[in-house]
Amino acid sequence: MKPLIQLSIANVRSFVRDRAALFWTFAFPLIFVILFGLIFQGSNTTLKLAWVDLDGSTGPTGSSTLRGSFAAVKGVVLTNDDQASATEQMKTGKVDAILVVPKGYGGAVAAATQPGSTPATPVEITVFTDPTQATTGGIVQQVVAGVLGAVNLGGRAPIVEAAPATIQTQNLKLISYLVPSILGMALMQLGVFAAIPLVADRQKKILKRLSATPLHRWQLVGSNLVMRLIIGIIQAIIIVTVGTALFGVQMTGSLLALGALVVLGALAFISLGYVIASFAPTEDAANGMTSVVQFPLMFLSGTFFVIDQMPQPLQVVARFLPLTYLSDALRQVMVNGTAFSPLWFCIVVLVGWTAVCFGISARFFKWQ
Amino acid sequence: MTTSDTSRLSAWSGTSGDVAVRVGEVHKRYGAVKAVDGISFEVAHGEVFGLLGPNGAGKTTTVEMLEGLRSPDSGLLEVLGIDVARNPDDLKQRVGVTLQTAELYPKLTVVEVLDLFRSFYRRSLPTEQLIEFLDLGERRNAQTRQLSGGQRQRLAVALALVNDPEVIFLDEPTTGLDPAARRSLWDLVQKLQAQGKTILLTTHYMEEAEVLCDRLAILDHGRILALGTVKELVANRFKDRSVRFDRIEAVADERLSTLPGVESIKHDDGETVLYTQNVPGTIGGLLILTEGLGVEPGNLGIRRPTLEDLFLDLTGRALRD
Repeated sequence: MKPLIQLSIANVRSFVRDRAALFWTFAFPLIFVILFGLIFQGSNTTLKLAWVDLDGSTGPTGSSTLRGSFAAVKGVVLTNDDQASATEQMKTGKVDAILVVPKGYGGAVAAATQPGSTPATPVEITVFTDPTQATTGGIVQQVVAGVLGAVNLGGRAPIVEAAPATIQTQNLKLISYLVPSILGMALMQLGVFAAIPLVADRQKKILKRLSATPLHRWQLVGSNLVMRLIIGIIQAIIIVTVGTALFGVQMTGSLLALGALVVLGALAFISLGYVIASFAPTEDAANGMTSVVQFPLMFLSGTFFVIDQMPQPLQVVARFLPLTYLSDALRQVMVNGTAFSPLWFCIVVLVGWTAVCFGISARFFKWQ
Repeated sequence: MTTSDTSRLSAWSGTSGDVAVRVGEVHKRYGAVKAVDGISFEVAHGEVFGLLGPNGAGKTTTVEMLEGLRSPDSGLLEVLGIDVARNPDDLKQRVGVTLQTAELYPKLTVVEVLDLFRSFYRRSLPTEQLIEFLDLGERRNAQTRQLSGGQRQRLAVALALVNDPEVIFLDEPTTGLDPAARRSLWDLVQKLQAQGKTILLTTHYMEEAEVLCDRLAILDHGRILALGTVKELVANRFKDRSVRFDRIEAVADERLSTLPGVESIKHDDGETVLYTQNVPGTIGGLLILTEGLGVEPGNLGIRRPTLEDLFLDLTGRALRD
């Protein structure tokens, strides 16, 4: 235990004394948070939606009730409109999105919620958003998912039971979408960058020198993980604190769940860093491979752009990137954001990814 | 192990109970390359033993196998009675190691690195004692990347001494050091020997081997070419002295070999070396020969044979830095 602790301390010291590492780990994500926080602060606190009701039904399952649900969401302003004029309004930036309720909505919902009804094709509420306003689009989708989740609750298993209660507290600032994304990105970088010092230590024969001492390899790997996890948790604390304190992001989830997710996310990407370290022969190669891995992850995983608004082929790519699932899960846990995938599925993906990556690096990592 | 076994393994003449390091018929190949090709030797307790040879001779591979960093293809490796292959953990508690490259945690200070390494061992010397012994006091709080080459190497030795080891392996301890730093490291090795440590070092410096080593093995292409004390090695091989001069193209070796007393001829980096039992006769004959050709042997001189000559004689080439 003593060697593990001492080696962890040594790793933390080396890390803290490395200015470049400090910048990328703490300053870089914080710059994003502050930048986006300042840009979106104040503006867009209300979401202007045009309501195009082609059904006009009333009653508990009617479109008027659905309208009421949307109007009840904090920060949403609804205006009734017809499709042509709504499109015009949106083009001139007077509304952020258009919601179209199809004819027959009320009847279909009523039929579907009838006890003993057979499932039919779902009714589609068309949501028009501007693909160039990706983050606004993300917020709109969050709102829509939240409200429709509440409607669907009648016909669904009680797994989604908690959704309606927290949808009311939905914070609509764009920064709420971005802060979890940025935390995900920061954890991704923290993990992937684990490759570089590891390869450097191998290249400088530090790992070899350690092999000539009674130190065990599990202690070496363990200390490396301990150091990265400590830093990951500090990153999370800083990013969440700045987001909530300065920019009013509302943390709706449990801190424990967030902490667990931060650890899992860090592990998933540290394991990816180890895979890179297994195949990078030199420190320079590790630097290059790290960049090659981190930039697509950063830009294709819905960090800054909402996945559903990316071109179809890129959406497919995003589905294969682990950061997509980490950011998605973080958004769900932190701000109760839109779920692209259910939380359990995100966790399964991350755990599986971690296991596979650790397996690969255990097989291919060279100590000397 | 019986006395006859040990005599088969090496030229060492002590009793087997005094053996600190035992290497028996060790082979190691990397692909098609035989890095170590059947090496056997023993090192006595308290002895400074050297492995001398050019790069690629198999010195480092041999030492790293003894340190438990590489496993041999076949053969016996024993340190302090511990079978290296079977009990690497026991071994590592009791030996000290420096590798060829001495870079260690560039952003940690001398004290921090020492404390870190101390935590790896069941038993360790106080940091202060190590710092004092290695004369690192002034640099104690310097990060290791700020140390000079000599200081860095002293730190590497300090790390090898952290567990107060009985056997110390030093792989090319003075390569790349300036002459002053090299001298101070030699002093250190001698101090350690005075404390009763057993030291196995590799080097490609003849002078270093002559100054430090009680005995040495000369390696080339993974084989031991000669083994013994410096004096023995040189004396056994050369009863001759050598006559040297700048090479003269016009004079063929066949002519030189007919000079009085000449036993053998070597060419080394623009120099011709004649090993002879009759120095005056050889020089006289040489001068007559060259005068007849209208040339003069430049830098003509006589030398007692050294390890350098031995190496040249054994391998047909010079040992260079």
